[in-house]
Amino acid sequence: MHSAVRVLKSLRGAVIPVLLLGWWEYNAHRDALHAYAFVPLEQVGAAFYELLVSGDLWLDLKGSLLRTSLGLATGVALGIGTGLLMAFSRLALTLINPLYQSVRQVPLLGLTPLIGLWLGNGEPAKVFIIALAAFYPMVLSTYEGLRNVDVRYREVGQVYGLSGIQSFRRVLLPAALPALFAGLQQAVPFAWIVAVAGELLFNVGAGLGNLMMVAETGAHMDVIMVCVAGITVLGTAMSQLVSSVSKHLQPWRQ
Amino acid sequence: MNATTIDVDTSRGRTTRLTAPGTGSPHSFLPARPRIERSRLEGLAWLVSPLLLLAAWTCATRAHWFSEQILVPPQAVLDAFHEVWDSGELPGDLKISLYRLLLGFSLGGAAGAALGALLATSRQAQIYLRPAFHVLRQVPTLSLIPMFILLFGIGETLKIVIIVKSTIFPVAVATLEGVANIPRDYREVGRAYRLGLWTQFRRILFPATVPALLTGARIALGRSWMVLVAVELLAADTGIGQMMEIGRQMLRLDIVMVGVIVTGSLGFAFDLGLRWLERALLPWKHS
Repeated sequence: MHSAVRVLKSLRGAVIPVLLLGWWEYNAHRDALHAYAFVPLEQVGAAFYELLVSGDLWLDLKGSLLRTSLGLATGVALGIGTGLLMAFSRLALTLINPLYQSVRQVPLLGLTPLIGLWLGNGEPAKVFIIALAAFYPMVLSTYEGLRNVDVRYREVGQVYGLSGIQSFRRVLLPAALPALFAGLQQAVPFAWIVAVAGELLFNVGAGLGNLMMVAETGAHMDVIMVCVAGITVLGTAMSQLVSSVSKHLQPWRQ
Repeated sequence: MNATTIDVDTSRGRTTRLTAPGTGSPHSFLPARPRIERSRLEGLAWLVSPLLLLAAWTCATRAHWFSEQILVPPQAVLDAFHEVWDSGELPGDLKISLYRLLLGFSLGGAAGAALGALLATSRQAQIYLRPAFHVLRQVPTLSLIPMFILLFGIGETLKIVIIVKSTIFPVAVATLEGVANIPRDYREVGRAYRLGLWTQFRRILFPATVPALLTGARIALGRSWMVLVAVELLAADTGIGQMMEIGRQMLRLDIVMVGVIVTGSLGFAFDLGLRWLERALLPWKHS
């Protein structure tokens, strides 16, 4: 009896979503005009099934994911490299920081027309913008992470007579790891969103963004909803993945 | 002023600011680099790379290393700026873009602050709204553009709705956290003094939440600006984003670069403005 009440109580959070979905269904079945915007949910399910069976969804998903991985890997590597350079060389800091700070002010997707003129509408342009999305947060977090390493840790390293490389591997890197993961926590979801947005703007090739743009032209709301749901779920999953990897690699932080 | 920073006259008559070792960043092993206090010479050093870049840019265009479609001379960008400014194109586009941003941001910010405060203070709201809130805030705004185009067309409504969506959640989350982090003692003091609800709000809740709220607003404004430019690139007949898109289609690199520089400067100005507001409203945080 008591547990039944508890189950009912825990379901209260579902009341509003269920009401919203009910309202959506009601609108969908009112008339043709409403059905244009409010696609019946069963139709969204059918569209999902169809995209899955025909392999279209997989093709576009693979396109987006591969592109994101490539851009992410490039951007993270370059970002960490630049951050390291800025943390260890005063000259590099003086030269890079003003450019970094000013270029970063430009809204990332506002760069797409410029990148489009330079690199065309193809794969290089899309990967470039994703890499940039990952690059910005990684530079800052690497630099700040290394700069904020406690001087006492370094002294312990000196006491133990560690060489430069040893002290980097044993002292600096572990101490800067939390900041690096904080950077990744920003970079990964942002790169994913920018990948999809880049596909909306550079509209050629395979990708979830392209699928959505084609669906928009044909007014296929059901396909768009499948894409939005997929993009959201994958973005959340990527954040979760970064945070579990981060916890796994830094068990002392729990 | 930083007590450990002293001004020293060097032999050349220049004033150099010295910082005691380790005081710039007390717990860092790297050489102390004061963040705010910088000698004048060092201040000039920050200009080196932008000037170098400008020089390289000028040289590259003079020597025709790249075609005109890839790189235009700095002077051409300046001329293009005058061209679109004098023709009234840029001021018009800027006005409409800023109007969209301001309207969407005000609506979204107000709604976000209200929603965040509701979620933070009302247990009922928490029970019924929180799951939906946390699911909806995960949906990336940019991925909603095609859906919103179908729902709202490509008119003004689309832009305002998109900006409201991109503003409401960061502001709500920041408010929620701000209220949740108010030390319980503060509220107990308020109750002990039997302050009215309004006084409690004005004297305790509001001042304690403002820092988080402003940070949230700063993040939201930056994001909204990016989202707005993206929407205008995709679906608009006016606005700064549309100006850049037309520039791209006509292969007018100079106009596109004007757009990049203008949107960048505005983004910077928004950030600076809100940081200034933060300092003005919360002097104790920066003293």
